[in-house]
Amino acid sequence: MNILIKQAHIIDSNSAYNGKVMDVLIENGTIRSIKTRISPEKNVKIIEAENLHLSNGWLDMQVSFCDPGFEHKEDLDSGIKAAASGGFTGVALVSSTYPTIHSKAEVFYIKNKTADSIVDVYPIGTLSHKQEGQDISEMYDMKLAGAVAFSDDKKPVNNSGLLLRALLYSQNFDGLIMTHCDDKSISNDGKMNEGVVSTKLGLKGIPALAEELMVDRNIFLAEYTNAPLHISNISTHKSVELVRQAKAKGLKITASVNAYSIALDEKELSGFDSNYKLNPPLRTKEDIEAIKKGIIDGTIDVITCDHRPQDIESKDVEFDFAGNGMIGLESAFGLINTNKGKIKLETVINTLSANPRKILKLKEPKIAEGEIANLTLFNPSKEWLFEKKHIQSKSSNTPFIGTTFTGKVIGIINKKQSYFNK
Amino acid sequence: MTTLSTKHLLGIKDLTADDIHLILKTAENFKEVINRPIKKVPSLRDITIANLFFENSTRTKLSFELAEKRLSADVVNFSSASSSVKKGETLIDTVNNILAMKVDMVVMRHPNPGAAVFLSKHIEAKIINAGDGAHEHPTQALLDAFSIKEKLGSIKGKKIAIVGDILHSRVALSNIFCLQKLGAEVMVCGPTTLMPKYIHSLGVKVEHDLRKALEWCDVANMLRIQLERQEIKFFPSLREYTMLFGLNKELLDSLSKKIVVMHPGPINRGVEITSDVADSSQSIILEQVENGVAVRMAVLFLLAGRA
Repeated sequence: MNILIKQAHIIDSNSAYNGKVMDVLIENGTIRSIKTRISPEKNVKIIEAENLHLSNGWLDMQVSFCDPGFEHKEDLDSGIKAAASGGFTGVALVSSTYPTIHSKAEVFYIKNKTADSIVDVYPIGTLSHKQEGQDISEMYDMKLAGAVAFSDDKKPVNNSGLLLRALLYSQNFDGLIMTHCDDKSISNDGKMNEGVVSTKLGLKGIPALAEELMVDRNIFLAEYTNAPLHISNISTHKSVELVRQAKAKGLKITASVNAYSIALDEKELSGFDSNYKLNPPLRTKEDIEAIKKGIIDGTIDVITCDHRPQDIESKDVEFDFAGNGMIGLESAFGLINTNKGKIKLETVINTLSANPRKILKLKEPKIAEGEIANLTLFNPSKEWLFEKKHIQSKSSNTPFIGTTFTGKVIGIINKKQSYFNK
Repeated sequence: MTTLSTKHLLGIKDLTADDIHLILKTAENFKEVINRPIKKVPSLRDITIANLFFENSTRTKLSFELAEKRLSADVVNFSSASSSVKKGETLIDTVNNILAMKVDMVVMRHPNPGAAVFLSKHIEAKIINAGDGAHEHPTQALLDAFSIKEKLGSIKGKKIAIVGDILHSRVALSNIFCLQKLGAEVMVCGPTTLMPKYIHSLGVKVEHDLRKALEWCDVANMLRIQLERQEIKFFPSLREYTMLFGLNKELLDSLSKKIVVMHPGPINRGVEITSDVADSSQSIILEQVENGVAVRMAVLFLLAGRA
């Protein structure tokens, strides 16, 4: 079906129409025409909405669909619905499945199973074989099969020599290494940020130091190897500063933060609600402010929602035993937009769209005539109540049910398909 | 005021100063009761209480059971070391069992911080936290406050030093909250490896020299070294801990004033305090045990709404 989008504010810094309000006609998955006014022809679906904004489709570079292995929490089908509903036309899937994504077989499984879906799905392969932290995985073979990066996900690479070899080896084929930073000998099975709140709750603290030490080490290794390195999930003000300094030196470092890290602080844990048990943990107001500054000045390239489905049996238990993480795709834009503070909307869209694709070396879509339509439609001023009915994921581990957000996704267009929220 | 502001006793954190005063006042009456020839009153004869102990305990469990029986409550006991049951399942299953058995009150000890809060969100019964991991042990703090008040007349303005493993101690945390609400000054003293980095944010003084702490205080609460909660070594040996933080008679006698010595028990004699200190006239360790029963009777009585 052809689609006519009426009077959309276009946000795409690469487009000549950036900042303009235009009608956009999409025919057979291609942007046919962009004009101030386009009269609708027969058989065209017209999209009109209050304060309608249009950007290139968003891509989240750290999403868990739990498939294969943990399909009771999420599978590729339910995950794709959640992504589409959240405005994402692309997701990169973490390697923490069972089995892990450690050979071309698992990469093919994900690619084949999602070939026809509206959302582009990009597997991330493991950095070490089966995430065991011993030997590097068959990265090249996985890359040929379609893996876009290599990471042991939330398992930090404790062995410095292993990361050194991975950074060196991946340069043979222009591979990207991504790391989560957490020195386990310092965090020592901690359950939340070490600070005032953990002291009051008697919960084991995770010092900011555990993250920062490893961010620093990983930057040293990237400098030594002259390799690109993406540092995922940074959450402390010192980590932001370390990345800022590394970028100033000209190192090929990029970084991402989780959406919750710009919105919530450690005080949320006061009632032992395991929905706030997260990795990295919720930090302090000071950290939130530093992260926002980092996003504004370009130190932080990407905001991910870190979608981590957990079934009720993994969350409705004593806090110590609860699994980490929250689902995030459906609420991501509302959460980020509501809490963006001084961050410009265009910057937010870049962290969700252009920047992750640059880092993963994926082709960037463009809002121009003749281009493939890979688009997200949203209203940044719409206030709405996030309810359970908005959740497409199989899991509902989120603390945001009942929260009013500003900013709602209208729908997506990608791969000649479209999805619109009700 | 004759009723508590809270439905459960999950932690001292949730209590007001008025709540604490009410509990201590009520406990005074019960202390008189348990010193009568007939130590029993019928106050809770229509109440069923389940004591759930998911972690080893001797004196807290005995003390609660005695308090319950002296109030004529029906009592059921459940004990299970956490290591022998599969993690996570037990508590939720136990919860469902309690619901089915129509228990009115639950006294629970559990190795995980927040377990009592978790339970309170799932069941209707009134919950008394008898210790949850390194979080809180409210009745211990209340009986400690009662014992200090009994010995020194009041708590306001008194200086209390809590000595030992602060990092793993629910007794320390509940004592800090309780004593501060009653107007005391609190100092914590212990090895730097067993001191939470942000403990000063609770408004306590921090000291690492035992003699200085003892010279400062009116009361020293000597905590037990909780080896079972330490999965890695925070100090090289018990011998060396004792050299730095053990209280012996020589040190006690060399102080410029006579301080009161407390211990929540069970004592590792010769580790945190020597036998002659534990048994000295300055020690109120056995008074604490006696007061524990009275204070727990007061808590049960007030939560049952019998005031």
